[in-house]
Amino acid sequence: MTARDVEGGLLGPPGEFGQAPPPAADLLKAVGAMKPVRTRTRFGAFALVGLLGLVWPAVALDRLPLRRDLSALPAWWVVTAAALWGVAFGLSLAAALVPRRGDVLPAPGRASRLSGAAMAAVLLFVLVATAQAPGVSLRPEDLHWTLLRSCVHCASFVLEIAAVFLVVGLLALRRLVPMGGPRIGMALGAAGGAMGGLVLHFICPIADTSHVALAHVGGMGLAAAIGALLLSGAGRR
Amino acid sequence: MDAEAIEAADVMARYCRGEAAAFHRLYALLAPRILAYLKGLLGDQAAAEDTLQVTFLKVHEARATYVLGANPIPWMYTIAHRTCLDELRRRKRSRVRLTPDGTLHSEPAAHLTGVAADAHQDQTDRPDAAATAGALAALDRLPENQRQALLLTKVHGRSTAEAAMITGTTPGAIKQRAHRAYVTLRDMLGKAEPAKAEPS
Repeated sequence: MTARDVEGGLLGPPGEFGQAPPPAADLLKAVGAMKPVRTRTRFGAFALVGLLGLVWPAVALDRLPLRRDLSALPAWWVVTAAALWGVAFGLSLAAALVPRRGDVLPAPGRASRLSGAAMAAVLLFVLVATAQAPGVSLRPEDLHWTLLRSCVHCASFVLEIAAVFLVVGLLALRRLVPMGGPRIGMALGAAGGAMGGLVLHFICPIADTSHVALAHVGGMGLAAAIGALLLSGAGRR
Repeated sequence: MDAEAIEAADVMARYCRGEAAAFHRLYALLAPRILAYLKGLLGDQAAAEDTLQVTFLKVHEARATYVLGANPIPWMYTIAHRTCLDELRRRKRSRVRLTPDGTLHSEPAAHLTGVAADAHQDQTDRPDAAATAGALAALDRLPENQRQALLLTKVHGRSTAEAAMITGTTPGAIKQRAHRAYVTLRDMLGKAEPAKAEPS
């Protein structure tokens, strides 16, 4: 018994799908009463969620003081880390909301793959290349905080930023994701978390690797997990 | 996109512009194959026909979420898939379904392609009727996710990327499930063959 035999047993003559019953009365009634609709564009939800979600980070960056060691850190490192967080944000948000060319829906598999890769890249960068300015950068102990307390503080900030993306994203995806909601939710949460991480990159004075990895990247992971949970039932309409 | 997808996209665009004739064309174009898919998952002609109507009603309500120029076929399969899962979930909650006179339903059998089983009385045009019957029986015993992967990729001709989108998983998972389904089917049918050879 070969794969060809199995397939031969399953497949009927090509293109043969039988007859379907005529449309039901309530379906015909709905069609008879229909009006033209304005359809979605590929980048509409991305633009909407991106713009609305960016309001709070912009306000936070404007109102909160920048980290005290910013000028003492290597400029290339500041720019590279910011670019990495920014790319993680853009990639994750696009994966969650932009369908591939020729598709109607965003692909759940691509969303989870890209956002997972973005999280891994940011974590790797943080573990390998977190920069500190001796004497200027702070550790949790310098603020009389434990590592746990510093992590809770910063992860909460990341989640606050991510919450806006999750709420607006959920509204944008309300009728759009019949399948694969958790994967899309993961990417949406990761996008919000990456934006939180980007803001913290400029305002958080604690440059300790363990703090940045656990609180900033961990906050991103937590936001992704919350997004996955929130969208796990969103397709059941 | 292939010619069929281009036609479906064109018809869908006209449907969104409010042309009722375009809805009927879309229905004629896609209802048979979606019905066949639903029959393959539900194994029940009447439930599949009901689910087909609900699917098209959902498509009608969600037509504003369509992206102009995109291929609507995988999108409609996705809505059908979700509607089917809802139906299966509802079935699990209602353990036994009876007719109004209190007897059990006798479900009309159907071939995977959507053709009623009794429409194939003359099986001479088919390559191997016994293989078909064996494969169909074995298919019913496959785990649900393997059956979905096999139906979408091998019977309905969807690409692995499309099948992944329809079922909400990754293309790799679809390939793996389809392969496992093949292996399981081969095992089931391989064991069935010697038994058939024995005199009754």
